[in-house]
Amino acid sequence: MVQYNFKKITVVPTGKDFIDIILSRTQRQTPTVVHKGYAISRLRQFYMRKVKYTQQNFHEKLSAIVDEFPRLDDIHPFYGDLLHVLYNKDHYKLALGQINTARNLISKIAKDYVKLLKYGDSLYRCKSLKVAALGRMCTVIKRIGPSLAYLEQIRQHMSRLPSIDPNTRTVLICGYPNVGKSSFINKITRADVDVQPYAFTTKSLFVGHTDYKYLRYQVIDTPGILDRPFEDRNIIEMCSITALAHLRAAVLFFLDISGSCGYSIAQQAALFHSIKSLFMNKPLIVVCNKTDLQPLDGLPEEDMKLVMEMKAEAMKTVVGQAGEAADEDAVLLTMSTLTEDGVIAVKNAACERLLNQRVEIKMKSKKINDCLNRFHVAIPKPRDQKERPPCIPQAVLERKAKEAGEIEKRKLEKDLENENGGAGVYSADMRKHYMLADDEWKYDVMPEILDGHNVYDFVDPDILQRLEELEREEGLRLEQEADDDDFEMDGKELTPEEQEALAEIRKKKSLLIQEHRIKKSTAESRPIVPRKFDKDKKYTTERMGRQLTSLGLDPSKAIERIRGRSVSRKGRKRERSLAGDDEVGDDAMDVDGDQPRKKLRLRSQSISRSRSRSRPPSEVVPGEGFKDSAQKVKAMKIGKKAVKARNKDARRGEADRVIPNLKPKHLYSGKRSTGKTDRR
Amino acid sequence: MATRLQFENSCDIGVFSKLTNAYCLVGIGGSENFYSTFEAELADVIPVVKTSIGGTRIIGRLCAGNKNGLLLPHTTTDQELQHIRDSIPDQVVVQRIEERLSALGNCIACNDHVALTHTDLDKETEELIADVLGVEVFRQTVAGNILVGSYCAFSNRGGLVHPHTSVEDLDELSTLLQVPLVAGTVNRGSEVIAAGLTVNDWTAFCGSDTTATELSVIESVFKLREAQPTAIVDEMRKSLIDSYV
Repeated sequence: MVQYNFKKITVVPTGKDFIDIILSRTQRQTPTVVHKGYAISRLRQFYMRKVKYTQQNFHEKLSAIVDEFPRLDDIHPFYGDLLHVLYNKDHYKLALGQINTARNLISKIAKDYVKLLKYGDSLYRCKSLKVAALGRMCTVIKRIGPSLAYLEQIRQHMSRLPSIDPNTRTVLICGYPNVGKSSFINKITRADVDVQPYAFTTKSLFVGHTDYKYLRYQVIDTPGILDRPFEDRNIIEMCSITALAHLRAAVLFFLDISGSCGYSIAQQAALFHSIKSLFMNKPLIVVCNKTDLQPLDGLPEEDMKLVMEMKAEAMKTVVGQAGEAADEDAVLLTMSTLTEDGVIAVKNAACERLLNQRVEIKMKSKKINDCLNRFHVAIPKPRDQKERPPCIPQAVLERKAKEAGEIEKRKLEKDLENENGGAGVYSADMRKHYMLADDEWKYDVMPEILDGHNVYDFVDPDILQRLEELEREEGLRLEQEADDDDFEMDGKELTPEEQEALAEIRKKKSLLIQEHRIKKSTAESRPIVPRKFDKDKKYTTERMGRQLTSLGLDPSKAIERIRGRSVSRKGRKRERSLAGDDEVGDDAMDVDGDQPRKKLRLRSQSISRSRSRSRPPSEVVPGEGFKDSAQKVKAMKIGKKAVKARNKDARRGEADRVIPNLKPKHLYSGKRSTGKTDRR
Repeated sequence: MATRLQFENSCDIGVFSKLTNAYCLVGIGGSENFYSTFEAELADVIPVVKTSIGGTRIIGRLCAGNKNGLLLPHTTTDQELQHIRDSIPDQVVVQRIEERLSALGNCIACNDHVALTHTDLDKETEELIADVLGVEVFRQTVAGNILVGSYCAFSNRGGLVHPHTSVEDLDELSTLLQVPLVAGTVNRGSEVIAAGLTVNDWTAFCGSDTTATELSVIESVFKLREAQPTAIVDEMRKSLIDSYV
């Protein structure tokens, strides 16, 4: 459904504001710096951009205005006519047309000047062209200033129009001024329309809403209408006429039968007849108001005749739109808004007749077929003899029988919550209403999870029996263990001799251990006398030799063995070569000198290769790109000479490890502005 | 009497509550407003129990029950089961069932005599429904929807079903259930009837978006006031036509 809401139209600025907005936008959004020295294409492009940008903004703004204002031909005819009555269709269209023309003019100007700018040959000339272009655009806007002002006024007025939905259920109230239309709408809705005892208090349409039979009805209060030719009617009256002409509504024609409004019944009847063409195909009810001043029965005869004439006319509309004969009561009704006599009856009659008419139309439409199932109540057919009674507790029936006032108010959880700190603070008692055999059980602590285990998993009905069994088993086991212990050895059982022997064994054992430990503490189990026991260095090989000789033993072998093991052996000087001696003493040692010689021979034979000759330090091996060692020596000399001075001063060379200055002061101190992060 | 209410700004109150003739389960909300609306209406007659099921608040969609029993999904914890058992009368059988379709409220619609179920429920579940709830079980769809629990709501006195249910389907369902049925909506046009409405034999609760027309249909079809279901075709017909078409 189309919603008619004119509140969303954007504000239309006045001509001057319009220009300011656009030009300042151009100034802000396009580049501003340009130099004479720039290439001419760049200069042209700079100014072309300004012209195009300005044109674009004008175009957007003006298009928004043209699009947002409703087109009178496209909207519902009720609103179309209402806007025409209020603002004059021609004027409105003209204003919008001017806006549209201005938009096209500005586009054309921009196009021309962009073309001219292509031939601009200097900064000055390009600038002049731009100024001219913008100036002409502004002149165009200045010329449509009045139209803009007019549209802004209309916009403000339109946003205050009542939001009438032309398609919904509507009750329309019309009649002469001051006959009680506004009082009636105030009675049946919450519209709160101003009521004053003079004509034309209501100057425009007012909307209120009322309910009837679960549905919402829109009630429209119209300004009073005078009986005069159509052309003479003023704007206020024309609002009413428009509403009457275009809204498919139930019409209530209000008649002041007391004449206190200042118009006689004859005059009002004349109005009725002059606008009765507008009531065609609408449920019409003639409402005789102000019966508190003048009852309908007490009317003079000629007035009564006029009223009856109107009633007959209204009856025609009934017969015209509904096939069935309508009851006559629903066409002419009396009421008094002062005493509220019959007000609701009028409302109900109007709503009922409107509803009937709408339903009749809708029943003929195709859409009804989609909804037919929703007006169908499926009544069950009995399928067996089973009784399926509803289950309503006695307490409910008793409660229903009681009057509303008799039921004492229960204290609800909500009340408790409010008393105890409100939502989020109050924590409701979940166990309060438990139904248990004993009320004391309600708050029994029920362990659910203990040490991370579900207690229920461990619940065992015959746990006690099992425990007993286990305990019995344990007792048996303990007894058996006690029996086994009897066989164990005990120190007390030994005889004195055995004890002695045991002590001996243990002593010997500990001695052995001690000995072993001492042996282990000296290196490689060698019979070395530690230095601390040999401070005077008296335990020498000579002494050993002497001692051995005194014992009558040959010490030479022992001495040799010791020497061979001595740590200082490696530093010992080479023994004199035996080669020469061999020749000499060959015969002498022929018999008993066999052993050493054999050893010597063996040794000389076992050496598989001679030790490689070590290079003298002065020798230089060629290679590393050098032709020969001479060249290399030369190069080395030069290299040494080069670093000599630097090394002498202990200065830094390129091979030295360097840690550069990681945070140079000049880059990390002081304020920073644009582009100063790397260099200052 | 039908009451309009909200659960924490949600109109789907049937999701957060389960109403039967013997007890009423209510989800645990941030405040006591939702609970108290039920309490004020029901607490004199039947127990109103605040509970969660499987730690969630959507209890109306997870459980199914009537005055005879209550079926809970396998997600229900031991403590919740214990709490519910302690809170509702002993005559009501509370049973936790191992059904793959654990949103039982969506799959089962029942009153005290008849139940409609999802077509894919287990055979064992069907037997359990019949035993625990004491009902006849029919595997059915409502307007082509297999989630019968979501798209219809009925008591022992009447029922409301999905708005697209055809007239023939309505008659068939009505004969199965042996209660008058009407196709309609709740919550200003919502088709998910059971989400917006929870009802027993003497009272109903519906979402606060429910319009006056919807409410009057509900009150007539469930016979909550003097109104009878036939009122829908008599007095209300015109209003219904004007608002639907």
